[in-house]
Amino acid sequence: MKNRNGHASNAPCSILANFSCRKGGNPQHYLGAGSIPTLLLAILSVYLSVSLSAEDAAKKVIAISGGRLLTVSHGTIENGVLIMADGKITAVGEIGKVTIPKGAQIVDAHGMTVYPGLIDPETNFGLMEVGADENARDLSEPSDEIMPHMHVADAFHAETELIPVARLNGITNAVVAPASEDTIAGQDIFIQLAGADRDAMILGRDVALAMNYGADQRRRGGRAGGHAEFPSTRMGLITQLRQTFLDVQDYIAHRDAAAAKKDEKADAKPDAKKDDKGDKIFKRDLKLEALIPYLKGERPVVIGVYEGYDIETIMALAQEFHLKVVLNHVTHSQEVLDKIAAYKVPVIIGSIYDFPRANERFDAVYTLPAELAKRGVKIAISSADAGGPVSSHSSRNLPYAAGFAAAYGLPYDDALKAITLNVAEIFGFGDQLGSLDVGKTANVVMSNGDPLDVRTDVKQVYIQGVPVPMVSRQTKLRDEYSK
Amino acid sequence: MHRLESLRPVAIRLPQDPTLIVRVIATALLCMALAIAAHGQQTQPQDVVFKNATVMTASHGTIEHGSVWVHAGKIAGVGATVNAPAGTAVVDATGLWLTPGIIDPHSHSALDSDVNEATSPVTPSMHMIDAFDNRDKALYQALAGGVTTELLLHGSANMIGGQAVVIKNKVGLDRDAMLFPNAPGSIKFASGENPKRLYGSRNQLPSTRMGNFEVMRQAFEEAKNYMATQDAYNAKVAKGDKDAVAPKRDLKLEALADVLRGKLYVQIHCYRADEFLTEEAIAHEYGYKIRAFHHALEMYKVADKIVPEQTAIATFADWWGYKDEAWDAIPWNAVMSMRKGIRVALKSDSNDHIRRLNQEAGKMVHYGGATEDEAIRMVTLNPAWIIGVDQQTGSIDVGKDADLVLWNKDPLSTYARAQKVYIDGDLFFDVSLPGLGTPHFSGVMHGDNESGSDDGEDGQ
Repeated sequence: MKNRNGHASNAPCSILANFSCRKGGNPQHYLGAGSIPTLLLAILSVYLSVSLSAEDAAKKVIAISGGRLLTVSHGTIENGVLIMADGKITAVGEIGKVTIPKGAQIVDAHGMTVYPGLIDPETNFGLMEVGADENARDLSEPSDEIMPHMHVADAFHAETELIPVARLNGITNAVVAPASEDTIAGQDIFIQLAGADRDAMILGRDVALAMNYGADQRRRGGRAGGHAEFPSTRMGLITQLRQTFLDVQDYIAHRDAAAAKKDEKADAKPDAKKDDKGDKIFKRDLKLEALIPYLKGERPVVIGVYEGYDIETIMALAQEFHLKVVLNHVTHSQEVLDKIAAYKVPVIIGSIYDFPRANERFDAVYTLPAELAKRGVKIAISSADAGGPVSSHSSRNLPYAAGFAAAYGLPYDDALKAITLNVAEIFGFGDQLGSLDVGKTANVVMSNGDPLDVRTDVKQVYIQGVPVPMVSRQTKLRDEYSK
Repeated sequence: MHRLESLRPVAIRLPQDPTLIVRVIATALLCMALAIAAHGQQTQPQDVVFKNATVMTASHGTIEHGSVWVHAGKIAGVGATVNAPAGTAVVDATGLWLTPGIIDPHSHSALDSDVNEATSPVTPSMHMIDAFDNRDKALYQALAGGVTTELLLHGSANMIGGQAVVIKNKVGLDRDAMLFPNAPGSIKFASGENPKRLYGSRNQLPSTRMGNFEVMRQAFEEAKNYMATQDAYNAKVAKGDKDAVAPKRDLKLEALADVLRGKLYVQIHCYRADEFLTEEAIAHEYGYKIRAFHHALEMYKVADKIVPEQTAIATFADWWGYKDEAWDAIPWNAVMSMRKGIRVALKSDSNDHIRRLNQEAGKMVHYGGATEDEAIRMVTLNPAWIIGVDQQTGSIDVGKDADLVLWNKDPLSTYARAQKVYIDGDLFFDVSLPGLGTPHFSGVMHGDNESGSDDGEDGQ
């Protein structure tokens, strides 16, 4: 049996902390006995290289030249040039029409396809590691249905081995969301799949509220043999949600009143307070407070819902409270597609591989992206496998899900957009990510062919203009056993 | 997900004598005849010539602008041209691809939740045919993905599980008409986390890998003893001893004896490199062969040692990380193992992935640089070998069953959709038909059990 320790120490050094020489997690699992010194060396070399080279590398100008550029925002440029400097895209255009700065590192991309980094709109990166390992799982808090004060940012484990695996297939950004047990499960983060540390990888905290509605959330009905508790039905779930949003409105009123009183008090004379009956100290309620920006429509609410009639119910509630909705899943919505279009809300389709019902045509779900796009709906596509919760072990297959949507009628450009620009726009990063445009973050992928085809090999991923080492725990195992 | 805890009782069908297979086949043929009579279905295959297709034969490369002649349910010709009689119906396949039917060597489809008889770690007398629901929607959805043959296996709760059923995916025909004629029997073994977790959680043996393998050895010791008792009785009878008392037949030990006599292909759910070695050692100790390791996610580590055993693998393209023993899975496993000489098939273990095994094969071009021929073989001829039906199906060769899929795009790409699926020369799926696209199926499908995996993402 080969010893894998040597491999860890020989690993190429990364300029990025999220790299497979892991510093957290379970190093014993990866490294055999007697490997600690090797591990330390490996970690040290990674850290040294992080501190020494990250800034230098970011300052380097890189010109990717001769490739086929899929800009997403303004068509395809055959034989194009893309220039990256200071972490940004500084030029995009045809060869000969773009001046390559002196001293730029030129990457020959002839025969290559170049496109913006892919963005997965629903993952659980950093909230689980080995699927069956409960200790590593931070997916949701099922003790109550209403958990908006759960912040994914607090659990996100940036050094997860899942991230480099996905990155190798061109995923550069993702939304990390809690699992779906609760009607209000918590608040999502928007991440970049590389960075010096957790804070550098989290581009946005609390970017969206994760909501869910349907059969799966009525778990207190004694269906598993336990005694029934409220809410055990859809009626219960909706009532609980409506009461919660009313409570938030009430909370805002009280908070504002208390703030006004406080201001008054500050102006008033010290002996004028005796008769003030309502002069209690205002106690913050983190749960209700967490919902305020969503009730004000400042940030999106992503609602996971599968059935057509559930979509109608939850949308009625969302409209009642003027929520800024993004629908998610909509697997069995074939009967209400026109209605969804009329809501004028974006839709995340995931999983495109979810099963049609018995006696439905085999492609009833495969065709959803095409059917929604045809009706003018802005769509995003996520990487989830069929059935069950999202597993980000499969995030690397995101481009294939989009390609499958194209196979079933979605125009190719829309398919690529559904895993790049549309996702960025839905989550508030449209000005920074999702297309090859000057001024955007230089998250760029170069592959040997069509990004949506399973046969295509990603050759290099750039994040913030820096070439990411094309290494994961899996490539290291491959290389070790290929010797 | 199938739950290991699922404990619905299973009726037991038992091999009483060696002619059982013959009788099953006879019954199948009879039922097929009855089905045809009852439904008035036209199941007589039509002779047809596919012209000008990109023919991926799986056995001898790809023929551009090739033709395939189907006669009486068999492939009668393949090449640049074929000698079909004038007047044979022609399918113009210009711009289309023709492949052998996709074969899944590891499916739990159409078994409702009767995948695991998880009441004892040794249940070799379970027969999956007793749970096979030929109206399950998973069969139709797989058919639309080009799947023509499946090995329906017992789950992985038990070290020694039950006996598989091999089906042809003739959606719309009666149950017995869907059985693969003359397919050899297979039995499912399992090792690793599933048996030890399940029985360990009940404070029973096995709760460790030590316990796992000891349970197997103990079972084979009992089987040997049983065989010796039978042999002794037979010897007495041969000598004319009229007082000899026939030993009691024991269905469980009878099935284990069939393993030791080499009458069943042994299909082992097994993840870790060390466990492949242990399983082979036990097989040597008791004198049986292992047909294939299923999952086999760490084969890339020890392929050199397994090659001489001629054990194949049925593995995932890129599924990983769902439990500890899937943590060292790498998507290069299939091609790396193949390059070392292992016969490699891809399999679904999932009602989802079974619908797009062609894409899983396409990934092998990406992960390790498989040739098109090698990739398509991983979902056709190689799984046919694992099941033991590679003489009948799995490639486009003269004399083989006309199990064929016509695709609109390169089947190894993300974009391919099956246009027509033929089994034994008969059309079972046609995407151009309205509704379900199934010439032989009408009525109501079943299908509450969605995932079709007993070992998926939730670590079951």
